[in-house]
Amino acid sequence: MESATNHQAQVPRLHDEVGKHPREPTSPIAASSKPFIRWFQLLTIEQRVLAGFSLVFVGILIISAISYYNINGLLRNSGLDGRSHELIQLLSTIDAAMGEAENTHRRYLVTGEQAYLDAHKRVIAQKSAFTTYLNELTRDSPEQQRRASDVSRLMERQVSLESKAIAQVHERGIQSARRMALEGAGRRELDGIHQMVAEMDVYERQAVNQRVMASAASTRHTIMLLAIGAGLQLVLLASVYYLIRHDITERRRVAGELQRRGELLEAANKELEAFSYSVSHDLRAPLRHIDGYAALLRKAVDQSLNEKAARYLQTISDAAKQMGQLIDDLLVFSRMGRQEMLRTTVNMDQLIKSILFDLRLDLQGRQVSWTIASLPEVKGDPSMLRQVFMNLLTNALKFTSTRATASIEVGVDSPNSDEIVLYVRDNGVGFDMQYAPKLFGVFQRLHRADEFEGTGIGLANVRRIVHRHGGRTWAEGVLDKGATFYVALPRGESKL
Amino acid sequence: MTLAKPIVLAEDNPRDAELALAAMEEEHISDKVVLCHDGAEVLDYLYCRGQFKTRLKGNPAVVFLDLKMPKVNGLEVLRTIKADDKLRAIPVVMLTSSREERDLTESYTLGANAYVVKPVEFQQFLSAVKELGVFWGVINEPPPEGGRSHQ
Repeated sequence: MESATNHQAQVPRLHDEVGKHPREPTSPIAASSKPFIRWFQLLTIEQRVLAGFSLVFVGILIISAISYYNINGLLRNSGLDGRSHELIQLLSTIDAAMGEAENTHRRYLVTGEQAYLDAHKRVIAQKSAFTTYLNELTRDSPEQQRRASDVSRLMERQVSLESKAIAQVHERGIQSARRMALEGAGRRELDGIHQMVAEMDVYERQAVNQRVMASAASTRHTIMLLAIGAGLQLVLLASVYYLIRHDITERRRVAGELQRRGELLEAANKELEAFSYSVSHDLRAPLRHIDGYAALLRKAVDQSLNEKAARYLQTISDAAKQMGQLIDDLLVFSRMGRQEMLRTTVNMDQLIKSILFDLRLDLQGRQVSWTIASLPEVKGDPSMLRQVFMNLLTNALKFTSTRATASIEVGVDSPNSDEIVLYVRDNGVGFDMQYAPKLFGVFQRLHRADEFEGTGIGLANVRRIVHRHGGRTWAEGVLDKGATFYVALPRGESKL
Repeated sequence: MTLAKPIVLAEDNPRDAELALAAMEEEHISDKVVLCHDGAEVLDYLYCRGQFKTRLKGNPAVVFLDLKMPKVNGLEVLRTIKADDKLRAIPVVMLTSSREERDLTESYTLGANAYVVKPVEFQQFLSAVKELGVFWGVINEPPPEGGRSHQ
């Protein structure tokens, strides 16, 4: 019997272990006192995995952002490079074109050949396009812009000086412009343009060089960042994998352990069943023999038996019977714990009526005033619930046997919607409330055997059955005034 | 009671046997009781072999079977009886200490005619055995012997 209760007590403990498991320290660093690690130890496995994945996610975001920024920079630089090369190209074109302008106007001045004048005009026609293009390509750099406007201004002046020289030749003849023709009208400006273009070219080439170096550095950084990031992600993912795997292994172990214990429990239950079977069968036999042979002996020596000897024989018989009763009660108690439960609707009114009918022989010669309320239907096992109320009513009758008129009440009291509370109240000898916790224990008796008979198992049975129904039992009593026994049963379907 | 058929009592425990015989004695039917000490002896009796080779042919009025017996247990004897066309009609009463549900279920499934739990109290045991003996041995009309088994 005791082992049966132990088994039942072990089951919730196992569940506790499973629930607690993720919070248990899982590595040797548990002993460390660093606050972060202590904090980490407090997290459940789910939180740890979530934290790991969050870190990976944030890492990917940061790396992506930096890479995006860097690549954008590279793209911008390569755009700038294109413009720089165009600018360098344009500068050399301008340089050559302005040289050509100077050359052709001078030849025209000297030779007066129309072909040179036409060539000069063609160059001049391109000038405004050069200016616009130059402005456009130097837009990003104020310094180059300033030089570009110098170049434009010089070009303007060179061209206008040359045009003036040509006009002068047309008006006054070649002689008036001979010196100009030899030296060139915009010679100084052309030199200025050459110098300025050279400066711009140098400047632009340096800028290109700087950008190339910057791009190379940025590419190196990006690659390094990606490599380090990938490494970190790998480490993080590996840790998360380790955590999950560790957890799964642990869970598998616990599941295996649970199954093993379940098997042990089943084996223990089987053993217990075999034990109670053997108790049922083998323990009864010698008792039957004791009582039987005592009876045969009494019969055999009937005449010569004196009063004392007769009493001894009677005591032997009584003791055997009492032990028989004890064994029977214990077997019922053990069976109540193992027996499979039915779950049906039980009509309590009919149940109480049928119990009172069965008790009619015990009621002979007794004055009992019954108060039986209209009782509800409850969910449960009919034969088990019958046992409960049979025990409670038998008790009520037993402990009111000293009263001239016994008063027994069966009622219902439902303080909340979760459970139905049924009670049996009597005006019997009652009990001292300080012993209330002992009432429902196996073999617990509050009265001497010669006061009230009984084996002390009835209420233990009541409690066991009610617990199996998912309910509770308790009692209230006043010494010499009476007692009330309560049975609370869950209203809905309880999980068992 | 004249020429009544014998009652077979299978009981391995000599004390239980003695107590049962004492009860039958009071009803004066103990002389009809054939006591077997295990299941094998019961089968020997039913099939007229071994020590019962020379017995008068014919089935007993009733067989009282204990569940736990050496060699061949009560349920095995019951199974053999109910599986044999010639023996099936014999009333079989399980007389045992066990109140276990599975014993009850198995006995009735195998075709037991009654199941009686031996009471611990001797007076009850006495009256139970007396009633059983009188009912099955005297009051109850046993099945007629079929032509094949009655030679």
